[in-house]
Amino acid sequence: MKWATRPGVHVDRAACAWLIRRFVDPAAEFVFAADSAAIPAGARPFDMRGAALGHHQGRCSFETALASFGLDADPALEEIGCIVHEADLADERYDAPAAAGLDVLIRGLTLTSGSDHDTLAVTDRLFDGLYEHTRRQLMTGRPPA
Amino acid sequence: MSRAEDWVLLAYRLPRVPSTPRSAVWRKLKRLGVAWLGDGLVALPADPRTREQLEWVAEEVTDHGGEATLWLGRPLDTNAISQVVNRMTAAVAAEYGAVAAEAATMRTADAAAQRRVVARLRRELHRIAGRDFFTCSQREAARRAVETLAATDPAGSRT
Repeated sequence: MKWATRPGVHVDRAACAWLIRRFVDPAAEFVFAADSAAIPAGARPFDMRGAALGHHQGRCSFETALASFGLDADPALEEIGCIVHEADLADERYDAPAAAGLDVLIRGLTLTSGSDHDTLAVTDRLFDGLYEHTRRQLMTGRPPA
Repeated sequence: MSRAEDWVLLAYRLPRVPSTPRSAVWRKLKRLGVAWLGDGLVALPADPRTREQLEWVAEEVTDHGGEATLWLGRPLDTNAISQVVNRMTAAVAAEYGAVAAEAATMRTADAAAQRRVVARLRRELHRIAGRDFFTCSQREAARRAVETLAATDPAGSRT
């Protein structure tokens, strides 16, 4: 199906797009709309004002999406939720030192990307790696070497 | 960032009770370093990041039964906006000053206490820099004070 979000994607939108593609809808098609009036019919919005998959109760959109898709039982995804939250909001709700690096990397990436699709192609790989790293760390109790 | 550039404005109204959402929104705005232009009217120099930050505050306001509208505006009165900018700068300058002062008082503390304070003050500087929109001149002094402390020979190891 079609999924819509704001252009100029940053960490929260990139994380949501990865989550949707990997865990919810492998055939997801992403479209970019500056505001809710420009969302194509039938597309489900995320990380936009007024969207159910947005910032609610102090959570970032990725955390909202985890709960909404029933994926919050996966501890690695929960952990990534903390990292994305801090990278996006930096309100120090969680201790997530990886957040500062992730924020800088994705901001830099958007400066050199040709398009939002281009950005998402790279961030999908980044989040695949972050997920694997987090999963192994949780399994062994130590960061993978 | 030039003073005559665009600002993003948030006009909001939240019920007086319950007071928890009101103070949560207030704390969030405070952390963002907004200019308080009036009762329920705040502004930040516009860029994609500040715009998004205020969009999410607006969402929080409406989630709690309030009203919020976002505006993009350019000041017509450059003198008045200078005062606003000076007020914002003075606020972060005071925060930088407090960091520098604390770093200075820790010069004679023991090594473990110094390390803890350096770590905390570096984080604090990072937080303040996030709301320092006009690269306040006290930033560099505060950074130097903390890094000097980081490089200080701890009192205990001096011979």
